Amino acid sequence: MKKFLAIVLALAMVMSLGAVAFAAEEPDVSGLKVGVFWYAFSDAFLSTVRASLNEQLEEAGIDYDDFDANNTQATQLEQVQTAVTNGYNVLVVNLVTSGSADAAEQILQAAGDLPVIFFNRAVEGDGEEHTVLDAHENISFIGTDAPEAGHMQGQMIGEFLMENYDEVDLNGDGAISYAMFMGDAANVEAIYRTQFGVEDADAILTENGKPALVYFNESNTDKYQLDPNGAWSSAAAFDFMSTNLAEYSEANGNMIELVIANNDDMAIGAISALQAVGYNMGDGECTKIPVFGVDATQVAQDAIAADQMTGTVKQDNVGMAAAITGVLKGLAGESTMADAVSAVAESDEMFSVAEGFANKLFVAYAPFTA
Amino acid sequence: MTGYFKRKAEEYRALDQLDRRRYWVDGLLNNALYILMAVFIIFTAVVNKNFLSASSIANVVILAAASLPMALGIGGCIVLTGTDLSGGRVFGLTAAMAAAFLQNRMATKLIFEHLPNTTGAWIFAVLVIVMLAGAVIGLVNGFFVAKFSLHPFIVTLATQLITYGIILMFFQINGNGGGPISNVAQEFKNVVSGPVIRIASKNVSIPWYVIYAFLLVIVMWFVWNKTTFGKNMFAVGSNAEAARVSGVNVFKTTVMVHTLAGALYGFAGFVEAARLGSITAATGLNNECDAIAACVIGGVSFVGGTGNIGGIVVGVFVLRIIFVALNMLGINPNLQFIIKGAIILAACSLDMRKYLVRK
Repeated sequence: MKKFLAIVLALAMVMSLGAVAFAAEEPDVSGLKVGVFWYAFSDAFLSTVRASLNEQLEEAGIDYDDFDANNTQATQLEQVQTAVTNGYNVLVVNLVTSGSADAAEQILQAAGDLPVIFFNRAVEGDGEEHTVLDAHENISFIGTDAPEAGHMQGQMIGEFLMENYDEVDLNGDGAISYAMFMGDAANVEAIYRTQFGVEDADAILTENGKPALVYFNESNTDKYQLDPNGAWSSAAAFDFMSTNLAEYSEANGNMIELVIANNDDMAIGAISALQAVGYNMGDGECTKIPVFGVDATQVAQDAIAADQMTGTVKQDNVGMAAAITGVLKGLAGESTMADAVSAVAESDEMFSVAEGFANKLFVAYAPFTA
Repeated sequence: MTGYFKRKAEEYRALDQLDRRRYWVDGLLNNALYILMAVFIIFTAVVNKNFLSASSIANVVILAAASLPMALGIGGCIVLTGTDLSGGRVFGLTAAMAAAFLQNRMATKLIFEHLPNTTGAWIFAVLVIVMLAGAVIGLVNGFFVAKFSLHPFIVTLATQLITYGIILMFFQINGNGGGPISNVAQEFKNVVSGPVIRIASKNVSIPWYVIYAFLLVIVMWFVWNKTTFGKNMFAVGSNAEAARVSGVNVFKTTVMVHTLAGALYGFAGFVEAARLGSITAATGLNNECDAIAACVIGGVSFVGGTGNIGGIVVGVFVLRIIFVALNMLGINPNLQFIIKGAIILAACSLDMRKYLVRK
């Protein structure tokens, strides 16, 4: 009996030694129970993040569950409250009300002492910077620099126009008329993209002695058309664009010469409407109206390859998932939130810690045109 | 024709002062929707002359054609004093199915890898499949409504959620990971959203689905007005108990109305797949609301047993004219919601007024 016990003890010691040695490389994640709270399962881009994240978490052996708030902040709060009572010890939250510090504070209140990783949708609106992220020890934000996609899109458009100005200016009046499709009036990313997609392009144009872009419909002072459901949907862009095209055409000399959309889905909707009247067929013969989106979804990449779309801004779903998984591993290794974030930032050049923050991690956008 | 007017004129002369006033007031109120629309159209056309251009009118027709099938389906449910909240999601599911079944076979990422090539026969087969899929959900709706006397609001709310769950699962097939389903075959687009008439000089291009919607209106008019099923539907809608006593199979009629509605959502989804070329899990969200609004604007009453196909067509057109006109006027999107809501409210109040007066 004694012998047997000794063997068992020895074995246990060897194994625990092995475990310690192993932990130096890969932290022990078995203690983690992660709840991932998504704003809406129906969102096309975030679904690709979800697929990547699920894959990476499974690979890392992290115990996790996905929750769908179905675009309702109240539902998300209830899900978080339930998860806390159900023993989840890390919360990964894709806030429904993007850019609302109050909504984020409510989530944090419900979470108590648990670490919370916000991602993708901003937790601090304009002028509220630092109010949430600096006020709590155990939280972080992983996402994109909200204005970056808009800037990148605007620069891409400006550069494209400088190279192809006369081709794009169909009626030869010297100015480019554009249509803008906005995904959601309440989303900071959408607001920035709507603003900078045009402003940055204008900056490049005027620098090079060209006039600024002109919104195609003078009587619309908003200078954008908005998805009424805030769903960034191709259907909304399609309906708007076909209505626009009924009024604005080459025959009337006022054709829309450029289409800017907040995301790829809306860009694809606009392209479908253009195709219905014989544009952007990708056959090399018909006129191609330049269409720009954001996200670089598979569909948009295919459309660009098929010469139906001009450019988009790649939002990296795999990179986003890798950042979240990296921070979770860091937390399992018992480093603080800030250390976990900076460790991830150092691991790849697509990640960077936001200036003036210790716990805000940016995943870089990249232009995508081919 | 002259005889008709002469008779009307005599009738009018026979009225006393009070009745004459009532004649005009009633006439105005009962046709208020049409009068308001006429004023609205004239106003828009004066502000923006493009509104009544050939291409703009064609655009209204095209947009209306895309939303007609759904409204024609949901109209039957409203005639039965019910409703159908699952419509938008069924539309989304069938659109996703049609897009997935009819992807370009050369595309790099396919939802289903082993499917026939996109021939005419396969396109037709997919149409049948998605209409059947819609019909099955409609059948479930109808069965629970008829069998357990549940209000359709509850039943279809439940199936709306169930269908959405199925949609989310459908978008995960074959590593799609919830992304949009796209790369729809050109052959499929050609026969649905491809142009049937194109007048380049006028910038007008009418897609095939306008023709299909037109045919569908004729078929549905026939079903509602000339078949026993149609007559039974109105009988059940006006008074289910009376219909039962006079030998109408209420169970069968209710199930059939919902099944037919589901099949029509399937048809609408089929068109949507070709029209947009990219379907996401959010496709169809809130679509049933527009369809219900179109029906009630067109005089299909929640009182039950009243309504006609012509009214639904008018309702669909009214909503689309409002959409196009508000855009052409450059009206702020916030106001667009308010105006649309006000029109629905006004149309329904005027509609109910007729029944209140009759009582």
